[in-house]
Amino acid sequence: MDVTRRTLLKTQAAAAAAAAAGVSLPAEAQNIATGEDIRLQWSKAPCRFCGTGCGVMVGVKDGRVVATHGDMQAEVNRGLNCVKGYFLSKIMYGGDRLTQPLLRMKNGEFAKDGEFQPVSWDRAFDEMAKQWKRVLKEKGPEAVGMFGSGQWTIWEGYAASKLMRAGWRSNNLDPNARHCMASAAVAFIRTFGMDEPMGCYDDFEHADAFVLWGSNMAEMHPILWTRVTDRRLSHPHVRIATLSTYEHRTTDLSDMVSIFKPGTDLAIMNYIANYLIQTGAVNREFIDKHVNIRMANTDIGYGLRPDHTLEQRAQNAQNPQVSHPSTFEAYAKLMSEYTAERVSELSGVSKEQLEALAKLYADPKIKVMSLWTMGFNQHVRGVWANNMIYNLHLMTGKISEPGNGPFSLTGQPSACGTAREVGTFSHRLPADMQVANPEHRKYAEKIWKLPEGLLPAKPGYHAVQQDRMLNDGKLNAYWIMCNNNLQTAPNTEHETYPGYRNPANFIVVTDAYPTVTAMAADLILPAAMWVEKEGAYGNAERRTHFWHQLVNAPGDARSDLWQLMEFSKRFTTDEVWPADLLAKAPEYRGKTLFDVLFANGQVNQFPLAEIDPDYENREARHFGFYVQKGLFEEYAAFGRGHGHDLAPFDVYHEVRGLRWPVVDGKETRWRYREGFDPYVEKGTGVQFYGNPDKKANLVAAPYEPPAESPDPEYDMWLVTGRVLEHWHSGSMTLRVPELYKAFSGAVVFMHPDDAAKRGLRRGQEVKVVSRRGEIRSRIETRGRNRVPPGLIFVPFFDASQLINKVTLDATDPISKQTDFKKCAVKVLAVASADVGGQQ
Amino acid sequence: MSGECHISSLVVHSRSDRVQAIIEGIRSLEGAEVHGGADTGKLIVTLETDTEGQVVERINTIQLLDGVLAATLVFHHFEPVQERE
Repeated sequence: MDVTRRTLLKTQAAAAAAAAAGVSLPAEAQNIATGEDIRLQWSKAPCRFCGTGCGVMVGVKDGRVVATHGDMQAEVNRGLNCVKGYFLSKIMYGGDRLTQPLLRMKNGEFAKDGEFQPVSWDRAFDEMAKQWKRVLKEKGPEAVGMFGSGQWTIWEGYAASKLMRAGWRSNNLDPNARHCMASAAVAFIRTFGMDEPMGCYDDFEHADAFVLWGSNMAEMHPILWTRVTDRRLSHPHVRIATLSTYEHRTTDLSDMVSIFKPGTDLAIMNYIANYLIQTGAVNREFIDKHVNIRMANTDIGYGLRPDHTLEQRAQNAQNPQVSHPSTFEAYAKLMSEYTAERVSELSGVSKEQLEALAKLYADPKIKVMSLWTMGFNQHVRGVWANNMIYNLHLMTGKISEPGNGPFSLTGQPSACGTAREVGTFSHRLPADMQVANPEHRKYAEKIWKLPEGLLPAKPGYHAVQQDRMLNDGKLNAYWIMCNNNLQTAPNTEHETYPGYRNPANFIVVTDAYPTVTAMAADLILPAAMWVEKEGAYGNAERRTHFWHQLVNAPGDARSDLWQLMEFSKRFTTDEVWPADLLAKAPEYRGKTLFDVLFANGQVNQFPLAEIDPDYENREARHFGFYVQKGLFEEYAAFGRGHGHDLAPFDVYHEVRGLRWPVVDGKETRWRYREGFDPYVEKGTGVQFYGNPDKKANLVAAPYEPPAESPDPEYDMWLVTGRVLEHWHSGSMTLRVPELYKAFSGAVVFMHPDDAAKRGLRRGQEVKVVSRRGEIRSRIETRGRNRVPPGLIFVPFFDASQLINKVTLDATDPISKQTDFKKCAVKVLAVASADVGGQQ
Repeated sequence: MSGECHISSLVVHSRSDRVQAIIEGIRSLEGAEVHGGADTGKLIVTLETDTEGQVVERINTIQLLDGVLAATLVFHHFEPVQERE
């Protein structure tokens, strides 16, 4: 490459960056096509990683994805890309990609203790169907389960939900999103009667203050973080306040930082509520018109097994979700206990810092955006934490308008779109409907054209409960798709792994790579991923976005959608539905589940001719109809006309996503506010129409301590989480050499004083030990995460250091989401004998 | 040995009181150039490196400079170096 060409390329690179930053160097916002790129076919897709939902342009050459870059036309990221998104093109091409089904066998037969051997799809599905039918016959629908994902495409989640609930008549379907944002989802429904944020990313450009509660946005949501810093730089009055249990890149860059003791965020929020009440900053008019006051049941336990002392001792472990009507005066009285003195002592945050924080919420002229992720959600009082932040916004009326609002960030690309909107939780149906509600089941049966009374009413096993029931031998046929649960579930050594290897159980894992979960299965099914299939995701701001299939998956790898639908052909209604139901609806007799669920005249109504001729669509060609369109349109029928409206299917292939409700072709940026949301009646100003009385619920709760805290023996807090380079369990990012090199092995971040006290040096090998298990790792006393004395931070992406052997399976008793942020451990030097006896 | 030339660009959000020091810090890195944006605190930076891995390393280094709020990749292009005259 000669000097002129280098200069030219550099000029082009600078112009692209300037355009993305809105800095004036002369350039049009366009997607780059250089000499090399001209031979590439560029198409749009959402990034496959986090819940931000950045748009990327994907370059394909000779049937292979060779390049990606930020999509300048995507409103979310405007051409920017984080380092994970930048290497997206490499995630499909890891050397150990799975390309054919693998079954544990001995002497040509399935054997639980056999070795993995390659088999055909037919052989794989034969064995799987045999096992499923055995379990269904012996134990019934409650012994069948599926663990899905917030990374499923919308139609994959929808097909899974149909197959599980209507096909096998079991609600034992849960997504890994349970570990990630169940607390947020439950609190949304509890407060607003409808899931998901009222505002959107446009709030970033309108807020005067950003308060980050337990979110390391600079590393975990880097692109949204650039929108925060952009606002901060261009408007000097803007402030960023970050609360965390340790210092990290985000705290480095914030204007106000409060490091608090694990779990005391609850007390801090109640202090702010008290401050608002005491200083007259409450917007009483807003409260009187739009808010109901309720008191939560307290002393609700920790979601452990029922025989655990902590559960037996808890007064309301049986009914944690219950709350009672109350008054503002009663709420004010409860909050009055949270004085600056008491909360400062409890949390370790100074009174001055607490007051500065409270003033951001109190000043009516400051527009506040509160942001949070796992710090709130992975919390034994996660629902309360979410409720408490809503309380602050409701009390001040700082909600549902540009720049003012509580905003729950998400960790997975379709945690909202698939797990929540499609309803792949054990208690949910599409569009916020619930399995326990007879009207909702009836509605679903009608849309699905199924006999009345078919759908099971009892909520199924949630994620942690599924592990326990596998372990106890009550859940026996189990399909894990699109997640790495053995690495990411809590207390895996005692609760997860034994269940997978329990001889009574048949475990199927669908994945693109041999994760630790796949290796613990009985049958591994190779998956097509991301742009190897046509897909749709829904991001954290209610944005639904689509992509086309751009390349073929390698070998025999097939999409989750293909697997679900193809496997449904192996069952007839007579095998899985009760006789009395079939007697009342004989026309369903003898049909396959594929016939009644997918070839039902709706899902198969769009012909292949409607597929964009420029793109391949393997699933559609295999089944003979436009599968994705049929599933999407049937699914959309659940939400249209009552606040969950989605646009027609084809529109989404043209646009960079739309935020629902999409009414008359227009997306909605701020819900519940007149002038922004078409569902709000004229003259009302604000209506929280998810609830029948169109009011939001302020749910009051106290501070309660974590399930386990450090004591003289286990003397440190353990906090787990992610790092910038790796996404979740690393099954994809560890296969990108550049990312692996940047952060290759997990380390234990520890305060230098704690290390010195234990005689540990930086880089030394240690054991992290809890009451559940232990791992080996190395000490890091410097670097990007700086923890306070008494606390360690360990990332969970590293499969050679499974930190979830150590964590506790305590959950929020309401949302059933695990608390991965608080348990007690000790850190010990690995004795020289343990190291391998070199001396 | 890689025989490649990688050209990439970043937007570096910088605190206004630290902009000059950050520019100097970036310029001291091999293959890094600042093209403008000092007045808004949004620096336009290009990198010229031999490998993709070095792109990640440089971004990390820049991100850790005092006063840098965010450093985000926008553009990347690479070619074999053999094409050079």
